[in-house]
Amino acid sequence: MVAVRFHGRGGQGAKTASRILGTAAFMSGYVAQDCPIYGAERRGAPVAAFTRFGREPIRERGAIAHPDVIVVADATLLDDVAARVLEGADDRTVLFVNTSLSTEALRAHVPIPLQVTARDVTGIALQQLGQREAISALLGAVAARLVGLDWESLRSAIGRELEDLGLPEPVIQRNLTVAKQCYETVEPAPLHKGQGWTAGTTSIHSPAYEPPTKGTARISAAGNSVLRETGGWRTFRPVLIADKCNGCWLCFAYCPDGVIAMNRDDRPVVDYAHCKGCQICIHECPTHALVAEREQEGGVAWTAK
Amino acid sequence: MDSQMMTGNLAAAWGARLADVDYIPAFPITPQTEIVEALAKWCERGELAARFVSMDSEHSMMTAAGAAEVTGARVFTATSSQGLLHAFEVLYAISGWRAPLVLVNVSRALAAPITLEADHNDVLAARDAGFLQIHAETCQEVLDSILMAYRIAEDERVMLPVIVNLDGFTLSFTREPVSLPDPDTVRRFLPPFRPSHLGFTASSPHALGVAVIGGTPYAYFKHQMHLAARNALEVHRETADSFQALFGRRYDVVEGYRLEEAEDVLVMTNAGASQGKAAVDAARAQGKRVGLLRLRMIRPWPADAIRQALRGRRAVAVMDQNVAPGQGGILYREVAACLYHEAARPGALCSFIGGLGGQHLSEGMFHAIFEQTAEAGVAGRGCGPVLLYSAEEHREMTQLQMVAGTVGRDGR
Amino acid sequence: MTWQRETFKKIKQIPREEHVLPGTALCAGCGGLEALRLAAKVLGDHVVYVNAAGCFTMLAAYPYTSFKGSWLYTTMGSAPAGAQGIRDALDILIAKGRLPQGEDVKVVVLGGDGSTYDMALSATSGAMNRRLDFYYICYDNEAYGNTGMQLSPATPYAARTATSPCGLQHPAGTAQEKKDLFEIWRAHRPPYIATVAPRYPLDLEEKFARAAAFTGPKMFLALAACPTGWLYDPGTTPEVARMAVETGLWPLKEAINGVVTHTYIPKRKPVEAYLRLQGRFQHLFEPTVQTDAIRHIQERVDAYWEQAMQEQA
Ligand SMILES: Cc1ncc(C[n+]2csc(CCOP(=O)(O)OP(=O)(O)O)c2C)c(N)n1
Ligand code: SF4
Repeated sequence: MVAVRFHGRGGQGAKTASRILGTAAFMSGYVAQDCPIYGAERRGAPVAAFTRFGREPIRERGAIAHPDVIVVADATLLDDVAARVLEGADDRTVLFVNTSLSTEALRAHVPIPLQVTARDVTGIALQQLGQREAISALLGAVAARLVGLDWESLRSAIGRELEDLGLPEPVIQRNLTVAKQCYETVEPAPLHKGQGWTAGTTSIHSPAYEPPTKGTARISAAGNSVLRETGGWRTFRPVLIADKCNGCWLCFAYCPDGVIAMNRDDRPVVDYAHCKGCQICIHECPTHALVAEREQEGGVAWTAK
Repeated sequence: MDSQMMTGNLAAAWGARLADVDYIPAFPITPQTEIVEALAKWCERGELAARFVSMDSEHSMMTAAGAAEVTGARVFTATSSQGLLHAFEVLYAISGWRAPLVLVNVSRALAAPITLEADHNDVLAARDAGFLQIHAETCQEVLDSILMAYRIAEDERVMLPVIVNLDGFTLSFTREPVSLPDPDTVRRFLPPFRPSHLGFTASSPHALGVAVIGGTPYAYFKHQMHLAARNALEVHRETADSFQALFGRRYDVVEGYRLEEAEDVLVMTNAGASQGKAAVDAARAQGKRVGLLRLRMIRPWPADAIRQALRGRRAVAVMDQNVAPGQGGILYREVAACLYHEAARPGALCSFIGGLGGQHLSEGMFHAIFEQTAEAGVAGRGCGPVLLYSAEEHREMTQLQMVAGTVGRDGR
Repeated sequence: MTWQRETFKKIKQIPREEHVLPGTALCAGCGGLEALRLAAKVLGDHVVYVNAAGCFTMLAAYPYTSFKGSWLYTTMGSAPAGAQGIRDALDILIAKGRLPQGEDVKVVVLGGDGSTYDMALSATSGAMNRRLDFYYICYDNEAYGNTGMQLSPATPYAARTATSPCGLQHPAGTAQEKKDLFEIWRAHRPPYIATVAPRYPLDLEEKFARAAAFTGPKMFLALAACPTGWLYDPGTTPEVARMAVETGLWPLKEAINGVVTHTYIPKRKPVEAYLRLQGRFQHLFEPTVQTDAIRHIQERVDAYWEQAMQEQA
């Protein structure tokens, strides 16, 4: 059995990518299974999806603990503890990362010696599709190639899944063209197919009663959500061109997350650890003093710490 | 202490009054309504320093009750049947908040078809909601159980809500002498409510009932609720000791009636157990060695006490005043489960289903139960579920069907 | 008679302090969060929010909460009843001397339109009828958002949702008209009702400031432009909200003891200017223009304003 785990942010298409791969495997004559897991399906929050296929009936369900291939839709996820991207991976795991960084540059950041492939799928999408988040077909294509599925099955799978989402025919055609391009930029990878994993016996902790202050689903650290950084959600970051700013406060007024503060000179200061990159400030700035800069994926999130 | 004639409903209202509750959100439903009517009157007259609020539904009523409790008020409310089920999702919220309020449920069978009289499908539907459950047999026990319920619920080792159950009509509308505990003694028995994990104040904000995404925290909090409920067995014992010392009456999690040298034991709950006791007396008079075990605490499930009372018996009959269609009696299987690992488990375990929707349980019916149980004991094999229905009832039903036009004159 | 803002005259009067902190799991560009953040700037931190099921449930997800005040999650259908319990309990505890007056908090319901217009309507009606002293903030994203954008009674005619798709039977998508919650609320005669849109922050802040003077139900209906459900780029949330107001589809108004005042009178751009911005209305323009449907929407807005202006005059 081949097990592929997709990591993305809500809205990037990790779930659809896993379905494309599942359908492609199914159409190639395999037994296949795919499923997503998400907390509260929110744009930008980490999500994961799983595809399994093989020749025998598949008995596993739910999350994939030991993936053969990990497909990462967004390099910032590597640094997001909540996303658990590298969990269960070892040196035989194949890691694909959508990033503009080179494989070598990325390897310097990835702590374990995986087989890493890096491609700038977002760059391709921006160039060819002109949309910042439509990369499901492209991720599906990369994954299908890595696990050695043929283009014809993949082609029909992308067609079916995108049609299912209600996308119009011209959009599907554009996606197919770009998907083919992505498909061809990578090579099939050697897979260990789940061989060699043995589980030890879990040690069971027997719970003891704890006082209700502790044992109740409550939070007394008011306002502690600041500990959770959402800066990694961004594809674009707002950057201030200081001399264009007239100090009008509009960016501060409209920011839903309250991550813009006005300093003493009435200039906005963006909290990049939390800015989700919605670009409202950029759209609303009357003097165009705030501009969008594409994140150097990974790079920015890492230095933002 | 003076005794007076009062209904189970009035006794329940007195329980709330003596517990000096702060808040009573209410909604009418037969056969519970008298309780909140009495409380409304007392609040109006200033005899009870509580706020009484008429809500727009039981769903709202339970939400308001829980929300007031987690703000730090001692809360009482009451419902029955459709009302309990209308509020069902809120029950789980309240126990999850660890809000130790007391809810009286007056058992009434669930529609459809609509009826007003008791059976226990309503209260037992809530058996896994995280509320503790105490089922009362007499009007006195209703009142006393409410006082005990607050003390158990508010104990730091428990902090879970409690349902005190009484049967509609046979208890709710039935008057019998009830001794009213002295308010000062009650104050000694029941300390003021000062929960450490609750309260919304300006200086110490907190978020409660929060989302937990992922099974790890969810399982932890659910385990805590289970452990808290298990703690209630010990806390109940301490509470019973203290109650006995102050008021002279004792209630344990189960009550044995003429169990000494009983070969066969009938297991019952609620007000119907009184009739069961009468049937035991009658059978004993005929030389039959039978006894009765009344289950008073249903949650937490008093497995040890049940095992202890039933071990070594020839046969045990569980009388369920409820039915799980396609399965049988709800309490039967719980009793069976806790006897499985008992080395000296009874030779036969029999299941009887009777008293649905207030169906009358005649003396003759009890004779039949004892006979079938004894036979099962001799044979060493249990029986049931036996759906108790007399030939007489069957004839009457056929008559009704003729009038309803659902059978022909020939009875077919 | 034009409506005058008394407290909030300049944008720089918007309080700097944040009360709903970042790190939330809500979508980037959420218009509902925009409204809540601005409201909280007036409400402050001595607040307990009573939340119904919906997107905002995610604002307190263990072990994090975004609120500097308190928060309680209830159910989808009973947040106003939760507010009742809390308000009553606070009053009782203060009256009995168990809680110092200084520890009192404001009680604020947070509910989506699905909860507010549908399931919690009975609980809200009850709370208003009992003259409960509380705030109600409905963030109206015109669908059941948390479950992935299904039809709610707040969904406007011709919007496409996951359960009101467009096809041969319903080429325009949603067939119903948006329920007029403002009028349903107004029939209860609470002391204060207002509609707000966060794109008009001073109007919003002013209304929360005014509401504070009233005891009893203070009801807010906040436009919550929703990039995820309405299918537009998150950066254009304010623009979508602005068009909702400028076309007249989302009237900014208040009702004090039942007397309605429109707080902003738009010049009324054609509704197309609003509809075209959003994917959920795209089928009205592509592949063919559904002229009748668009005209229908326009006529209803026109009728609304004609009547509103007559009444106001
Ligand atoms: C009784 C009940 N039914 C259904 C749900 C599932 N549910 C959770 S959130 C939600 C949508 C709520 O929609 P709305 O009130 O508009 O708020 P939004 O999600 O848009 O923020 C639903 C249907 C629930 N939590 N409770
Ligand atoms: S779905 Fe809409 S309303 Fe819900 S969090 Fe996202 S943007 Fe906000």
